[in-house]
Order: sequence, then structure tokens, then C-alpha cells
Amino acid sequence: MQSIINSIVTNRNLIIYLTLSIISFNSLYTNSSVHYNGIGKIATYLSGKSSFFSSSIDSYFNLKEKNKKLIDENLKLKEIELEYKNQIVENKSFNSISIINANVIFNSINKSKNIMVIDKGTNGGVDEEMGVISSKGVIGIIKSVTENYASIISLLNTDLKVNAILKNSSTIGSITWDGLNPKILKLNDIPLSSSIKIGDTIVTGGMSFYFTKGIPIGTISNYDNSSLEGYYEIDISVFNDFSSISNIYVIERTDNDEIKILLND
Amino acid sequence: MFQLFVFNHINLVGFITPFIYLIIFIHYKTSYNKTTLIFLGFIVGIIVDLSMQTYGSHTFATITICYLRTWIEKYSFGVNSNLPSAMINGTQLINRLTFFGLIIFIHSLIYYSLVFFNIELFWTIILNIIINSIITFIVIWLISKLISNK
Repeated sequence: MQSIINSIVTNRNLIIYLTLSIISFNSLYTNSSVHYNGIGKIATYLSGKSSFFSSSIDSYFNLKEKNKKLIDENLKLKEIELEYKNQIVENKSFNSISIINANVIFNSINKSKNIMVIDKGTNGGVDEEMGVISSKGVIGIIKSVTENYASIISLLNTDLKVNAILKNSSTIGSITWDGLNPKILKLNDIPLSSSIKIGDTIVTGGMSFYFTKGIPIGTISNYDNSSLEGYYEIDISVFNDFSSISNIYVIERTDNDEIKILLND
Repeated sequence: MFQLFVFNHINLVGFITPFIYLIIFIHYKTSYNKTTLIFLGFIVGIIVDLSMQTYGSHTFATITICYLRTWIEKYSFGVNSNLPSAMINGTQLINRLTFFGLIIFIHSLIYYSLVFFNIELFWTIILNIIINSIITFIVIWLISKLISNK
């Protein structure tokens, strides 16, 4: 104990210098968006590098489970492929989407603002503000990107709002998370005049730059129509199990630039 | 010292602001308590930062200068680092030049690297550092001459 105090007293100038520089960096970081984004990029890079090694060991031990999931996913993809071919026959065009495959190397579900990190970055074609889905449904939106890694704001993040519709009636609402249960999301802005029942499927509405229309999110598990504001309070049971996500797809809508030009006019 | 605030708002040629407040740290007494100097640097840095809305860049550059001042002194003045407080007159010109120049250059280096914070703007940063160092050096040199002649 005495030697610790002695070493602190001997090195007091260095310790004071480091403490004050941490304080000044902190005020810089919180008040300036340029530095916030720059440090965000460094943080993404470091967490990507450190999680990559541990996730590769993990994934080796989970091979059998992964194979089974891949077989299930393939079956679903076959379904989607058949539906797609069906729609081609009806003359609809789907040239505006390209999909990038990636693996999750870092995940959390126990915070109020959960972030995931994947092992593809700008070298793999991933860019900021692209939507991310898995075979079961919506995962989140890309937050920041470096050359080989990217971070995702997941649906389990109180900052994220995703545009959503009821599959059968096309009433538009928005999905948020209240930070409590990682299996339940909240659907807002559905007026009491629309008819809903438990078990209805919620899909993406296609009204944003991030997701195309019709990507599944979850089903209605409970609703409350006693609010005085004229809207339902709906609980959505989410399709994805966020604690065990490993393989995801990043969506790029190639018609985004065209849409943005129209919006800027 | 507070009148130095006025000089901080001068903008030469549209983008250069000479950092006159560094004169405090150059002319500080030679036998000093290093802890006091670091705290003084921190307070001055914070005041300049808040008035110029740069949120911490000045502070970090200033406390680094205070921390490194001992080594800069030893490097500029060699064996003669036991100096009288009238440091301005009692030493050789080249030593004084080195001392002033090093303090100003290191301060500008750290300040502009932090403000731009982007490796792609490397040449802009270097340009700003060099021009600002030269102009600040000239202004501080002139003011030192004025003070020593008083």
C-alpha cells in the first residue's frame, strides 16, 4: 500500500497530465460530431479486430448446429426463389436490390442500445445506412464502416425506428424497442380504426431507404386498445432470436440515389 | 494576461489566428512547480477553448506543452538550464530561438492534428502548422522584445 502511494506521488505529474488529457478528450468527443465519428470508426476497428479471433474459435465448435440452420435457411430461400419467379411471370422488376452475405462476430442483447459487429466492410461493398436482415427477418441498420468491419444498430436498440406495415391491411406504423424484453418490440402509430388480431404478421413497409417492402419482422402477441390517444399499444413478438444470430445479409437498394435526387428537388 | 484574449480573435488573411497566449508559458519562471504549471495550462486552455468553441483541442495542446517544458528547456539551453529569471537577456540568441520555436511548433502540431482529426487532410494540416507557427513566432518575438525593453 505504501509503495503504491509512493509511486503515485513520484509520478504525480504524469498522472495529472493523463487525467487532464482524458478530460479534454472527453469534452472534445461529446461536443464535436467530427471527432465523435472519427473515434467511432476507431472503436469499430478495434472491436472488430478483437472479436474476430474469439468468434472464429466459437464458430468451429458450433458447426453441427450451423449446418442444421443452413439447411433450414436453404429451404426458406427456395420458397422465396419460387415466389420471385412467380412475380417475374407477372412482369414485376426486382433489379433494384443486391445482397451481401456476412457473419456476426460481436453481439449483445442486454443493454438498452445494442450494437453488433460484422466481418465485412467497405472492401466487401458494405456502406453506412444499409439495411441488415437474416433469414428470419429484420436485424437492423449499418451504423459505421471501416475497410473490413462494420457496426450495426440492431432492432434491440432504443434509438432505432423501423417503418412497418401489417401484412394483410397495409396500415403503416413504426417499430421501436423499449429496452426491457429482447423478444418483444413495440408497434406504434396504428390507429384504433384499423382491425388487428393476435397472430397478424408485421413486415417492413418499404417507405425508407433501408429495407424493401415485405421483409418479416414479427407477429402481434398482445395489444391494448384502451389508450386515450387513438392508437393501439401493440406488442410484437420478434421472429429473430437476437441472442443467437450468426449469418446475416446486408441489403443495398441500388435505386436509392435516384430516390434521393427526387427528394432533394 | 487577460488582455491577450483580444489578440486571439484576430484573423490574418482569413484563416490564421496567432496564439499569443503561449507567451505565458514561454516567460514562466524557471524554478517552478511542475504540477502548478500543468494546472495553470489546463485552466488557460479551457478558457481559450470555451471562448473559441474548439471544445478541448487547445486544452490538450497546452497541457502537453506544460508537461514537456522541462525537456524543451534542457534541449534548447543545454547545460545552462539553471537560468536566472531574466531569461530573455542572459542567454544566447540561438538557444532562445530554439526554445520559443519548439514550444510554438509542438503546440501547433498537436492543436491542428486534433482540430482536423483526419489523415486525408494531411497537407492542409502541415500548411496550417507551418504558417501559424511562423506568424505566432514573429508576434511573440516582437512582444518579448517590447517587454524586455520596458
